[in-house]
Amino acid sequence: MTRTMIGRRGALLGAAGAVGSFAIGGKAFGQGAPVVFGALPPLTGAGGPYGPAMLRAIQQVVDEANAAGGIPTRQGGRQIRVVAEDDQTNPDAGVRGARKLIDVDRVSAIMGTWASSVTTAVAPLCWENRLPLFTVSGADSITLLPHQGYIFRTQPNSRLQIATGADFLIRQGARRIFHLAAQSPFAQSSQDVLVEKMRGVSGGAVAGYIVYERDKTAFRTEVDQIMRSRADTVFLNGYLPDVTILLRELFRAGFDGRRFTPAYALTQRSFETLPNEVTNGVMTWQPSPDVQSGAFRRLQTRFGNVEVDPYSAQTHDHATLAILAAAQAGDATGIAIRDNVRRIAAGDGAVVDNVTDGLRAIAAGRAVNFDGASGPVDFDERGDIRGTKFRYERAAGGRFELMELT
Amino acid sequence: MEAYLVAMLVFAGFYALMALGLNVIWGLAGMVNLGLVGFFAVGAYASALLTTKLMWPMPLGWAAGAALAAAAGAAMAVIVARLRGDYLAIVTLGFAEVIRLVASNEIWLTNGTDGISGIPGPWRGAVTPQEFNLVFLAIVWTAVAIGFLLLARLSHSPFGRVLRAVREDEDVAAVAGKPVLWFKVRAFCLGAAIVGLSGALYAHYNAYIAPDGFAPLLTIYVVLALTAGGVGSMRGAVLGAVLVLVLLEGTRFLAAAVPGVSPVQKAALREGIIALSLILLLRLRPQGLIPERTRTLHAPKATP
Amino acid sequence: MIQDWRDVVQILLNGVMAGSLLMLPAIGFNCIFAVLRYPNFAVAGFATIGAFAGWVANAQWGLPAGVALMAAFLVAGAAGLLAEEAALKPLRPAGPLTVAIASVALTLLLENVVRFFFGNELRGYDLPVLRDWRFDGIRIGPQQLANTLYALATAGALFLLLAFTRLGRAMRAVADNPTLADIKGVDPDRIARVAVFIGAGLAGFGGMLIGLDTSIDPLTGFRVVLSVFAAAVVGGLGSIPGAALGAMVVGIGEEMSSVLLEPAYRTVTAFLAILLVLMLRPQGLLGARG
Repeated sequence: MTRTMIGRRGALLGAAGAVGSFAIGGKAFGQGAPVVFGALPPLTGAGGPYGPAMLRAIQQVVDEANAAGGIPTRQGGRQIRVVAEDDQTNPDAGVRGARKLIDVDRVSAIMGTWASSVTTAVAPLCWENRLPLFTVSGADSITLLPHQGYIFRTQPNSRLQIATGADFLIRQGARRIFHLAAQSPFAQSSQDVLVEKMRGVSGGAVAGYIVYERDKTAFRTEVDQIMRSRADTVFLNGYLPDVTILLRELFRAGFDGRRFTPAYALTQRSFETLPNEVTNGVMTWQPSPDVQSGAFRRLQTRFGNVEVDPYSAQTHDHATLAILAAAQAGDATGIAIRDNVRRIAAGDGAVVDNVTDGLRAIAAGRAVNFDGASGPVDFDERGDIRGTKFRYERAAGGRFELMELT
Repeated sequence: MEAYLVAMLVFAGFYALMALGLNVIWGLAGMVNLGLVGFFAVGAYASALLTTKLMWPMPLGWAAGAALAAAAGAAMAVIVARLRGDYLAIVTLGFAEVIRLVASNEIWLTNGTDGISGIPGPWRGAVTPQEFNLVFLAIVWTAVAIGFLLLARLSHSPFGRVLRAVREDEDVAAVAGKPVLWFKVRAFCLGAAIVGLSGALYAHYNAYIAPDGFAPLLTIYVVLALTAGGVGSMRGAVLGAVLVLVLLEGTRFLAAAVPGVSPVQKAALREGIIALSLILLLRLRPQGLIPERTRTLHAPKATP
Repeated sequence: MIQDWRDVVQILLNGVMAGSLLMLPAIGFNCIFAVLRYPNFAVAGFATIGAFAGWVANAQWGLPAGVALMAAFLVAGAAGLLAEEAALKPLRPAGPLTVAIASVALTLLLENVVRFFFGNELRGYDLPVLRDWRFDGIRIGPQQLANTLYALATAGALFLLLAFTRLGRAMRAVADNPTLADIKGVDPDRIARVAVFIGAGLAGFGGMLIGLDTSIDPLTGFRVVLSVFAAAVVGGLGSIPGAALGAMVVGIGEEMSSVLLEPAYRTVTAFLAILLVLMLRPQGLLGARG
């Protein structure tokens, strides 16, 4: 017994020692110490298929900014360091991870939270500690929290997203839509918007609405109901794993109507998982920069052959926004970043679409307006994006072709 | 750094309470409960809803959370009292999943997967975040201390001795004239109440709860905490909970130090190390770090 | 929702196909339980390992699905045996529940071993996706039918093994009464190893069948594990025919609930099935008293 007690104490002391030296190591840089950004993507759990790419996008932007001299402040250019913690797609683990980022790593901003539950759980920590939180979560309730301007959401709220998606489907001739939704904070609000939109069209109706468990592996009975509903369009409002199974099942059943799904539920990678004949014709949509804009062309050339799913496009923008806002302020505190995001994200300044150009313009004293990979990223007073365009694509032969961008 | 340590100690307090509750049900009465997180969720939702919708004062909400979890525990006990341990494990696992699904789907009551935010906390907003942390640290560990003292006494009381007798051999206890079912129900009630209280406190500390937070992973952590600490030992339960939290958090720093692996691999390493350490711990100390002191000696099994 | 007999037949068919995917992991779970007397919660991990082993054989090495299924069986069986010998067996003296708890940790470990080497991306097997056959409005998927046949054939092979071979008789003897079997000269240790190998192997085989029908990632086994446990318990812990029957009950029950209840409450059905059966027959449908 005594032996274990000592062993345990030793282990605790050891752990505390390791932690202590870690913190001291961080402080020892002194002047021009690196700015630390916290990334909190899901690396395990249900969000696992998305988190790694989201984190890569953040790291890419940071590397680019570091190569361009980092964030200019009064003490000279400060390099940027990213510390990532896994939120395990679980608010409990997310909060512990955020605590560590905030209190141990002293981050200036947290970015890349995915699950709405994690974002909502972490948000109070961020605003209490005066840190901006950049998120891709879709729940409408997030920006309604009393966040004092600290939350920036690059994912359009479900009202905007579903309303524009429904308009597109109606333009395509859809009249009877079957809505199949994974249980999520926006399943019901999507349904409400959809019903309202379809009511406005002659002959329009939501032919069926099913909410399913996200972890399911078999959807035959649901697909039977879709077939029976004689819907001309099915809207798959889910995520990668379940939509992958659903598309396969719809193909088997011989469904020949329109299939419509958010772009994060059918990505470039899906073409490796599913044969082309299963995906051909599936339509996706996502917020997007203008087709004329440099951001879009850059996206095409830079990511032309590399997968860029909507979430990593957004985290790419999270990192860029935070860096440019800090550069604009000449100060990398959370408050400075919060107060300057809107200044560099909108307005009459020179349009820039990447961090290097942005840093250069700011250093030259010019006003900038950042247009990101996920859209023009202009934020309203609640922290929601506004005025974004949506890009509609159709899968054909293992790639996406642009249908329209409006 | 201090803020982080304090916050983690608060979390350790929640886990310790859960482990204590589990110890009554499993450690003393011998009923495995893999549905812990279900009772935790019942307590959390009850208190969160009563304090945000009906504006009950917080202490009443906490009491209600514990009471509701106890009621759920009583119902559970009646249903499963006749079941053998292995069946019990699976039934309780299913129970927790049902609670999570109900919380996800009964939007009118629980606000669905959106969860409930803005749950009040004692003096939240009136004090600095760090002071709030300290306040909560005091509350949680006071609860742990009271629970610990109460249960430690209880486990040596006649009630505790009967529970142990039930655990070791139900039939013998019944023959000795003990109403086995009644004892089981009371044990389950008490344990579930403590777990529910933990959930209620957790809701008010975090200010937000959602079904995602009540995943089986939490049960696994607490069950492993108790097993590592020593099933049946109240000190073991608390120690095990602290140990699991040290593992959960310590592995962050450990995994971060591993060179040449991608972030996903680091995350996998981290969870893998947690699991592996617990297996190793069981291997090295199968009775836990602090074995139950009053453990009855097993008589050699009579051949049937 | 249900309009004529075809709908009923269709739901039953879907249920049988869903159930046949749960069947092998459930049988594997019960096979281990029968001999070793503890619930090995790591079947989820073995199923995932099997699915990935099969994926490597099929998509990486270009072997046909049938051969890949063998690979899934063998690799998962070997992983099960290794885990049993290295991690679980030394815990046996501490009691079956300690072993069961360790197997929970083990499943977390296995999930992350897979994640470490393969990442979180979804992967699909190299198989054509075939259109369903239709008979008078009833829909049957060739792949699902094949999966059902694979599952039934494998379960059948296990029955034959248990019924007609020396090894099978020895396994049943140990399951019935280890002490007596020991006296009769059956080495319980060897039988335990065989049971674990077969049990984990079947879980892996079943894991790959699930993957053939869907796609795989490190959570593949975890997604179905509650239904697998439900099947094993409903059928009766330790009973192999029981696991097969339980899988069908749970599979059909879940499909029924998708129509009659809300699909979002699918797992609740599995749980209700457990409760109902256990209240009427605490030892499960085909379980022995014990």
